Amino acid sequence: MIARKMAALLAAAALVLTGCGAGTGGAGTPDPAGELTVALQFPPRADYAFDADDGARLQSLGVAETLTTVDADARPAPMLATGWEQQGNAWRVTLRQDVRFHDGTPLTPDAVVTALRYVAGVEAPPRAIRGIGFAVAPDGADAVRITTTEPDPVMPLRLSSGNLGILAPAAYAGGGAPRYLRTGTGPFVLDSVSGADSAQLVRNDDYWGEPAGAARVTVRYVEDPQARALAVRSGDVQFAEGLPQAQLDQVRSAGAEVVEYPNARTVLLQLNQSAAPFSDLRVRQAVTAAIDRPVLAEQVLAGGAAPAADLFGAAVPWGETAPPPGADVARARQLLAEAGYTEQNPLTVRLWTFPNRPELPALANAIQAMLGAAGVKVDITVGNYEAQEPKVLAGDYDMFLNSRSYLSDFPDAASTLTSDYTCDGSYAVDQYCSPAYDALVDRLNSTEDPAARQQLFREAAAMLTRDAVGVMVVHPRNTAVLRGATGFVPDPLQIRPVLPQLSPTTG
Amino acid sequence: MIGLLLRRLVVVGPVLLAASVLVFALPRLAGVDPARAVLRARSAEAVPDPVTEARLRSSLGLDAPVTEQYLRWLGGVLRGDLGHGYVARTPVAGQIADAAAVSGLLAVLALALAAVVGIPAGVYAARRPGGLLDRFLGLGTVAGVAVPEFVLAPWLVLVFAVWAGALPALGWGDPAHLVLPVLTLAAYPGALAAQLVRAETAGVLTRPHVLVARAKGLGAHRVLWRHGARLATTSVTALAGMFVAGLLGGSVVVEVVFGIPGLGRLLHRAVVAQDLPVVQAGTLLVVAVAVVAGVLVEVLATALDPVLRSAGSR
Repeated sequence: MIARKMAALLAAAALVLTGCGAGTGGAGTPDPAGELTVALQFPPRADYAFDADDGARLQSLGVAETLTTVDADARPAPMLATGWEQQGNAWRVTLRQDVRFHDGTPLTPDAVVTALRYVAGVEAPPRAIRGIGFAVAPDGADAVRITTTEPDPVMPLRLSSGNLGILAPAAYAGGGAPRYLRTGTGPFVLDSVSGADSAQLVRNDDYWGEPAGAARVTVRYVEDPQARALAVRSGDVQFAEGLPQAQLDQVRSAGAEVVEYPNARTVLLQLNQSAAPFSDLRVRQAVTAAIDRPVLAEQVLAGGAAPAADLFGAAVPWGETAPPPGADVARARQLLAEAGYTEQNPLTVRLWTFPNRPELPALANAIQAMLGAAGVKVDITVGNYEAQEPKVLAGDYDMFLNSRSYLSDFPDAASTLTSDYTCDGSYAVDQYCSPAYDALVDRLNSTEDPAARQQLFREAAAMLTRDAVGVMVVHPRNTAVLRGATGFVPDPLQIRPVLPQLSPTTG
Repeated sequence: MIGLLLRRLVVVGPVLLAASVLVFALPRLAGVDPARAVLRARSAEAVPDPVTEARLRSSLGLDAPVTEQYLRWLGGVLRGDLGHGYVARTPVAGQIADAAAVSGLLAVLALALAAVVGIPAGVYAARRPGGLLDRFLGLGTVAGVAVPEFVLAPWLVLVFAVWAGALPALGWGDPAHLVLPVLTLAAYPGALAAQLVRAETAGVLTRPHVLVARAKGLGAHRVLWRHGARLATTSVTALAGMFVAGLLGGSVVVEVVFGIPGLGRLLHRAVVAQDLPVVQAGTLLVVAVAVVAGVLVEVLATALDPVLRSAGSR
């Protein structure tokens, strides 16, 4: 027992020691002829399938490309397509000329149709094209025609989803899952993979655009954050993503450059409005007033997140970047008293969360203490999300601390605003139902102009805040670390490829 | 000896059949809808979609009665067909074989290192109980037994990869990648073997027949190895059997920390993703190895120990 305690102390000591290697972070001279090894956080779980999150992984690696991408303002931008035009319930999409797949075959309308028909026909199509009657056909020698059941204002944005990557016709020839080795169009050729462990990329010298910054990249999928940090410090990898705050000072002292940038995700405390006590707006407002979000972000999560004032954060142009107010316990107590909850009749609620994201249990404990200061007793259960989900969707819960991406595979919020907050939403955990809100969101179906859509997103988020539909707690931050590499450009929208920009450095 | 082996092997079949029922039933008793879980595993932000879930449930055969699902699965196992994983959608047999080969290599190397270091260390420490070597070994083995893998692994990486720069911190495919994981995995069985051998050998060396052998002029070295260590090997053999299945099952901690594509990491991912075919096949393999290893160790221990041998023949 004593030996184990000693071991734990030694382990804790190890974690505060700093490395002594001399690294060059993002400095140094780029060496495009050099090689890189990178440690990525999320391994492919579905063998790089396009109908899973793995499709975005091929996009992020710079292997597969989509018809469109997005610019910094989250507007559609050219990729394999150079133009698009809406014609009623169809979009005519013009293809880029002189693009070749990694197997040497040209990009043609037929190739695009083959790729998109495959992904539209799988048993669980990706959300970007699910349920809209997506169909595609060639349209002349240089275009395809995409039709939907109803006119779709955001098809160019949908087409930027990593799930809609275009591979060479040969990839689909054998039936079953497409073959992704040497069949993309991107700046990197996927040369080999070793299951969910690693992948080898080589530069595509015939790439139509800006060439990749490294001749070869070894991608390692490392789920353990401490292992990623140690690999950076030992020099095994030159780039790593997703390091926890506790590790950042150590990698900095080892000479690494640390980049922190917003994540399009919100940790939210969802409140069941289908029953007391949270059917009462005053109780929801009291809970909001009692929770000190700046403290949660800066102290509980050690700066690994930004306090959330709104559903949307700094990752998107329409997000709220001003911090929310701190706690106002006096107001919380007053609101609770108005709702009938006093020291003689205290409010007791259940708070459920799950451990898949390690920040959630820590936040739950802090929220419990903050609500306790306002006179609300909170019983926490940290359980299995899969078992909790049916109950929360049925309204059989009080509070649910959840983590949600507010973009659904492409940088548009309509899907989340619909599924999570409309009366008939498929993920309406808060059990919120407001005809005014539904009418507002419904306007998105006929609003094509990106600026107008983004204004509607802002208005919808403001309405959710005004109605105290749950508490938007924090927006987690992404981290990336470079040591012996340069050129990283963060993309909070997670659409643009990450690896092609990176170059190894010398000196 | 052959009779004993046959008697034990007769029991293996029913034990594995019972294990297969448990392995199949337990994940389903968790009350989770596998179709929904698989959709979430494929796409983390997936929202419930009854139509898609029903289609998936049908294509995975999850809408059939549980008994029918079990019999279909067991028939496949007996034919060597483990089906396809729900999440990766690649053949389970291939996934398991690749991962088991990795964990098997680590297990063999770790056990070999534990034996090569642990047994001689224990034997020599027993020569002079309370001596310098004995006290040094005692300290080392207490640390080896007490320090858990999740502490030892990062420390080894800090020392050998970060500070010394002599070994890679993570990865797989190069002989250098084996060193730190094998050291981590060998620490506990090696320390335990050393403790066991030291205690047994020290006890044997005080027995009358050993003292007589010494009085007749037999050299200390020969007494130590011929009389002392030989008897201790029975306990170590039993110990090895205990560790084989665990190590083949892969250490989740070691495989995750060092980024090793072994069975432990595969099963961990499969459990998280509710990838039932992978969970079932992997667990059944580990159980089978444990059962067979138990039988073999018992037979081997009987062969090595004259007392057990004579008892077994009666």
